[in-house]
Amino acid sequence: MKKIYLGIDVGSVSTNLIAFASPEEMLASVYLRTYGQPIQAIQEGLKQIVTLLGKAEVAGVGVTGSGRALAAVMTGADVVKNEITAHAVAASFVVPDVQTVVEIGGQDSKLIILRQGVVTDFAMNTVCAAGTGSFLDQQAARIGISIEEFGPQALKAKNPVRIAGRCAVFAESDMIHKQQQGHSLEDILAGLCEALVRNYLNNVGKGKEILAPVVFQGGVAANAGMCQAFNRALNIEVIVPKQYNVMGAFGAALLAREAKLESSSFRGFELIDRHFSSNGFDCQGCANRCEVVEFREGERVLARWGDRCGKWSNAVAV
Amino acid sequence: MKNKKLRLGLPRALFYYYYAPWWETFWQALGVEVVVSPPTNKEIMDLGVSLAVAEACLPVKIYYGHTAWLAGQVDVLFVPRLVSVEKKSFICPKLMGLPDMLRAAVKPCPPIIDTVINCVRQPQEGLAAAVEDMAGRVGFRGREVQSAREAAQERYLCWLERQQMGRANGATDLTSASAAGAAVSETGKPGLIDSAPAQAGSLKVGLVGHAYLIHDRFLSMDIPAKVKKMGGEITLPENLPPDQIALACRQLPKRLFWTLGQKIMGSVLSLIEQDSIAGIIHLTAFGCGPDSLVGDLAERYARRRGTPFLLLTIDEHTGEAGVNTRLEAFMDMLPRRYSA
Repeated sequence: MKKIYLGIDVGSVSTNLIAFASPEEMLASVYLRTYGQPIQAIQEGLKQIVTLLGKAEVAGVGVTGSGRALAAVMTGADVVKNEITAHAVAASFVVPDVQTVVEIGGQDSKLIILRQGVVTDFAMNTVCAAGTGSFLDQQAARIGISIEEFGPQALKAKNPVRIAGRCAVFAESDMIHKQQQGHSLEDILAGLCEALVRNYLNNVGKGKEILAPVVFQGGVAANAGMCQAFNRALNIEVIVPKQYNVMGAFGAALLAREAKLESSSFRGFELIDRHFSSNGFDCQGCANRCEVVEFREGERVLARWGDRCGKWSNAVAV
Repeated sequence: MKNKKLRLGLPRALFYYYYAPWWETFWQALGVEVVVSPPTNKEIMDLGVSLAVAEACLPVKIYYGHTAWLAGQVDVLFVPRLVSVEKKSFICPKLMGLPDMLRAAVKPCPPIIDTVINCVRQPQEGLAAAVEDMAGRVGFRGREVQSAREAAQERYLCWLERQQMGRANGATDLTSASAAGAAVSETGKPGLIDSAPAQAGSLKVGLVGHAYLIHDRFLSMDIPAKVKKMGGEITLPENLPPDQIALACRQLPKRLFWTLGQKIMGSVLSLIEQDSIAGIIHLTAFGCGPDSLVGDLAERYARRRGTPFLLLTIDEHTGEAGVNTRLEAFMDMLPRRYSA
């Protein structure tokens, strides 16, 4: 039986899992929509891994993404890391001399600056998710084309129109306006890509030194229109890794492998069939009224979080 | 009308975190009962957000909440109108307008002592006039005001000195005070964050921002404690000697307009000169006008010097997950970069 490393990235829009025995050879990769239900997404992901690989022996599990706390408790992860580190590790594995990582996901966009293999600076989008995948999704749906067609369509543009990319709401009204004026769909889609790239570079990339090689990853990297817009704006040919949409999970698995564990604390593939649930309540202990989340397996409380004082989270012995 | 039982409300927000020892000592020396609102909690925040104008920054909204919390239980509120606390520099206009904004929003509103404090031209005279006015509003005059002022000044200077040494929090603990629902601060210490003594192997990080953000554990989501848990040893603007901050500001081509902005800018400029500082975190409130300029300026100077700089913007909607990710990634990056 093969010894595999698992990487799990529970993001806002997608939940990704990967498995490898050695990082050069990815054995399985799963990309799922989270649909706001991370527990189900993780179980479904693991189920697909089992379908692809059989019940392999797990040597280590790394988790990342905004749902990493939940994923860690649920699976018994060995390494829990933030997305910046995970993405940087993955990108430097694929392109060892990478100096810039552009990552655009569902609700987050990140820019990571590396020099000599070390993260020296990073930035994430601030309070607004204007330039991220969710917006592209929504616009594709509004126009009535699938997100897969979005990129190829945008590439056909002859004369991209200028769209205000600062705010998703304004961009949308701008797009509708341009449509009404009779601009072609291709030109509008390409214009939208350019607007998003401009927004990204002005906000996230503000003042950062973007040097080649640039790796472009995250779900949005699938969009050829976005790649082309980046190439033009940066005057650098961006590299989209083969596993662009699971790089976070890949990085998490790499970190688990780097940890050189004696044995993994993975709780086993049996957890696919177990019943997990979570619910929240407002603690009445003081005026802070913390929103505490309780995570259960069956009846047993596995973990609690969200309290400021530790009254609930410390009360659980896992 | 020397009423020994006069209850004076002091909102635990904004300038409370800069002048609490002075104010509390002064009023107490005059025999006034000082009622301080509890540390910010969800109830106070919700109250503030519902009362305040939408475009105010979160700390101002919080101030509304503290005032509203106090309104029903005190005879008079102390909300001085701080125009300027030093020569040629000003306080943010949103903060100058507080007494008027509160009167319009908090109903019913007890009388407000809204003494103007303006030291922009003649600091000594400005301060003296302000002290006389605020005491006069509730009927105190002459010698007793003078001696209360001296006591307040002494406490204040002593507190500043301890802040600089990083020991200002003493035994006061904000969270325990809130758990007990204690409204009156007996010691008068605003329970500041302790910059722990150096530990071997810890990373020195500068944490800059307005004191009313950093020291309000609810607002700041206890970022100082988070940084410490991740192995950081923090230096705050209060820990630096004021003349060092002022001196550092002189390298700017033009004098900064805002007192608090100078504090942040000067702290950053003097921290980036220290080789032992591995990185700087700037905590700011969404919608803060002065910070949008000062923060950007500070970041540019830090970048020029090669010091990693993390900007964290806090708003009422801010989820802890996003802040944690950024902090974790920043603290992860520092040691690798520092040793490289």
